[in-house]
Amino acid sequence: MKVRMLAWLAMAGLAVAACGSSSSGQSGSPIVLGAPLGLTGALTKESTLTQQGYNLWLDWINRQGGIVVNGVKHPVTIKYYDDTSNANQSAVLMQKLITEDKANFLLGPYGSAATATDAAIAEQNQIPMVEANGAAQAIFNQGYKYTFGVLSPANKYLEGVIDMAATLNPKPTTIAMLSADDNFSLEVANAINGYAPSKGMQVILFKKYKNGSTNLTAEVQAAKAVNPDILLNSGHLTEAIAINKAAKEQKLNAKIFAYSVGPSTPDFITALGKDANYVYDGSQWTPQVKYKPDFYLSVSDYVAAYKAKYPGLGNPDYHVAESTAACLALQRAIEKANSLDPNKVRDALAALDVTVFFGQIKFDSRGINIYKPMVVEQIQNGVHHTVYPADVADAQAMYPTPSWDQR
Amino acid sequence: MADFVQLVILGLLAGGIYVAVGVGFSLVWGVLNIVNLAHGALVIVGGYITWQLFAALHIDPFLTLPVDAVALFVLGYALQRGVINRIIRAPLLFTFLLTFGVNLVIVNILLLIFGSDYRSVTPAYSGQGLELGTIVIPYVPVISLGVAILLATLLALVLNRTRIGLAISAIAADRDAAQLVGIDLRHAYAVTYGLGAACAGVAGGLIAMIQAVTPTAGEPYTLQAFVVVILGGLGRVSATVVGGLAFGLVEAFGQSIPGSGSVFANAIAFGLMVIVLVTRPQGLLGRLR
Repeated sequence: MKVRMLAWLAMAGLAVAACGSSSSGQSGSPIVLGAPLGLTGALTKESTLTQQGYNLWLDWINRQGGIVVNGVKHPVTIKYYDDTSNANQSAVLMQKLITEDKANFLLGPYGSAATATDAAIAEQNQIPMVEANGAAQAIFNQGYKYTFGVLSPANKYLEGVIDMAATLNPKPTTIAMLSADDNFSLEVANAINGYAPSKGMQVILFKKYKNGSTNLTAEVQAAKAVNPDILLNSGHLTEAIAINKAAKEQKLNAKIFAYSVGPSTPDFITALGKDANYVYDGSQWTPQVKYKPDFYLSVSDYVAAYKAKYPGLGNPDYHVAESTAACLALQRAIEKANSLDPNKVRDALAALDVTVFFGQIKFDSRGINIYKPMVVEQIQNGVHHTVYPADVADAQAMYPTPSWDQR
Repeated sequence: MADFVQLVILGLLAGGIYVAVGVGFSLVWGVLNIVNLAHGALVIVGGYITWQLFAALHIDPFLTLPVDAVALFVLGYALQRGVINRIIRAPLLFTFLLTFGVNLVIVNILLLIFGSDYRSVTPAYSGQGLELGTIVIPYVPVISLGVAILLATLLALVLNRTRIGLAISAIAADRDAAQLVGIDLRHAYAVTYGLGAACAGVAGGLIAMIQAVTPTAGEPYTLQAFVVVILGGLGRVSATVVGGLAFGLVEAFGQSIPGSGSVFANAIAFGLMVIVLVTRPQGLLGRLR
C-alpha cells in the first residue's frame, strides 16, 4: 500500500516537472532577495517599517505570479536576518545571504551606517543592492557600482524647508541649526550652511551634539540665546522629541520648528501630543503626493493596500513607501534586463528611469536618486499635512508658529 | 550672567535624574559587589509602568512612582533570589555576563510587549515652568530633582535606621562576619537588589516624563550610573547625590561649549572620572575601605 502510494507520488512529481520544463508561462525558479534588518536593537522601529514596505511589494508581485524573465514568471522570496541594529553585523549577514543563502539580489538594511558597510559587501561580490534607507552621500561617493538608492540624498532633507520658508511672509532670515554628529545628520546640516544664504537666510548658530542624546537642554538654551526665526534639527526621532520638549520648557519661540527626521512618524505625535503641532519636517514621500505611476499601485491604492495588510497603524510613512519603491526599481530592472545575471541587472538599474507612486526613480552616476524632490510636511491639529511644494500640497503652512504661551 | 545661571539650573535639574539612576546602582555595587548591567533595563521597566498607568488610567505620573518602586522591588527581589544569587561569590566577570544577559532578556520582553514605539508621558503641566526674568525653571524637572533627593534620603534612612538596613550595611562592611552574627545573607542580598531595582523604577518613572522611552533607551543610563558612582564614591548615598549633580553640571557646561562642544560632553565627563580615579580613588565623597 505504502509503496504504491509512493509510486503514484513519484509519477505525479515527474509529470509536474515535465510540464514545468516544456511550457512557458509556468513559474520558474524562485528569485531570492536578501535583506539584513535591525529587527531588535535601537533601530527596531524604522527597520520594521522597512520590512513592511518590502513585504507589501512581495505579496503583490507573488500574486502576479512573480517577476517575468524570458516569458517565465519567477516567484520571489525575501530572506531576512536580524542584524540587531549593528552595522558590522549587517555586513556579516549580507555576506551570509550571498554565500550561504545564494541571494540573487540584495535589498538594503535600515540606516546610512549599515547601508555603507553593506554596500562594500555588495561591491566585493558584484551583486546589485537596491536600498531605500541610507541617504548619506558618503555611501555613494566611494565609486561603488552595485549600490543604488531610490531615495533623495541627505543634502535635500532640509533644503525644502528653506525653499518653503523663502515663500512665507514675514520672511524668516535667521537659522539656528542643531545637528547630531553622525554622517547622515552632518550632511543634512552642512548642506543648509551652504544653501541658506542663496535664499537670503543666515545660519547664526551651528551646534553639534552626540548622536542619540536624550538631554539636549543646554543646546536648546544656546539656540534660545540667539533668538532664531527658524530652529532646525538634523538628527533622529529621539533627539527631535527631546528638542521639542526642551524648546517648550525653555520658551524658545521660533517662527518655524523643522526637524529632518522624526516628525513624519506617528510616534512623534503620540509622544508629544498637541506640542507636536506646527512642527515641519522634510519628507521623502507623503500619502498626499500626486505622482502618475508607470506601473504598480497609485498613491491612494498604495495607502489602501497598506491599511489592509497592517490595520490599526494609520497611513504608511515614508520609510514604508521608499522601501517598497526599492523593490519596484529592482523588479523593473530585472524585467528590462530580461535576465537574472547580476551584471545585466546592474546595467539595467543604472539606466532605469521610471515613475511610481513614490515619484521618479532614476540614478545619477553614483547610484543615488537626485531626481525626486523632497516634500515638506507640517503637523496641524495632530495630523500630517503636505504643505510644500504647492503642486503636491494639501494644506497651507500654518505660519508663523504661535508662541508657547499662546497655544 | 543670566545664561550662566540658567545653565547651572539646567545642569542641576539634569543631575536630578542621574542621582535617581545612580543611587540604586551604587547600593547594589557597594553591597553585593555587582556592577549591575541590567540597571538601565530596570529603569525602563519603571518608565513603562508609569506610561501604562498614565496612558490607560490617566493617573498623574508622579503618583505612579510608588507603584514603580513596589513593582520593581518585587521584580528585583525575585531576580536576585532566583538568578543572581547563584553567582554572588563568583568572579566579577560572571556577574557581568549574567547581568548583561538579564538586561537582554528584559529589553526583549519589553519589545515583545510594547513594541519599539516611542512612548512619552506628557501631562497637562509638561513643559510649563516658572519664569524669573529671562530664567526659566521648568516644573517637571524641578519636581523630579526633588523626588530624586527624597529618594536618596529615604534610602539613607532605610540603610541607617532600620534593622534590615543595618544588616545590609554590615554585609557591605564584612560579609563573613555578618553571616557569623546570624544575618540571613540570601534575604538581605535580595532586599538590597530589590531596593536598588525600586530606585531604578522611580528613576524610570521620572525619565518617562522627560524623554521618550523605548525598550532600548535604558542602556546609556547604565553607563551614566557607573560614572556617577565613580565620581561620587561608593558606599554612601550622599556621595551618589553629589556625583549625580556634578555629572549633570559637567554635562551642561560641556554642551554649552560653542560649535561641536557637546560632542565632547561625555568625553569631558569621563575625563573627569579618570582624574577623580587617579587623584581620589574613593570618589569625591567616598570613604576608603
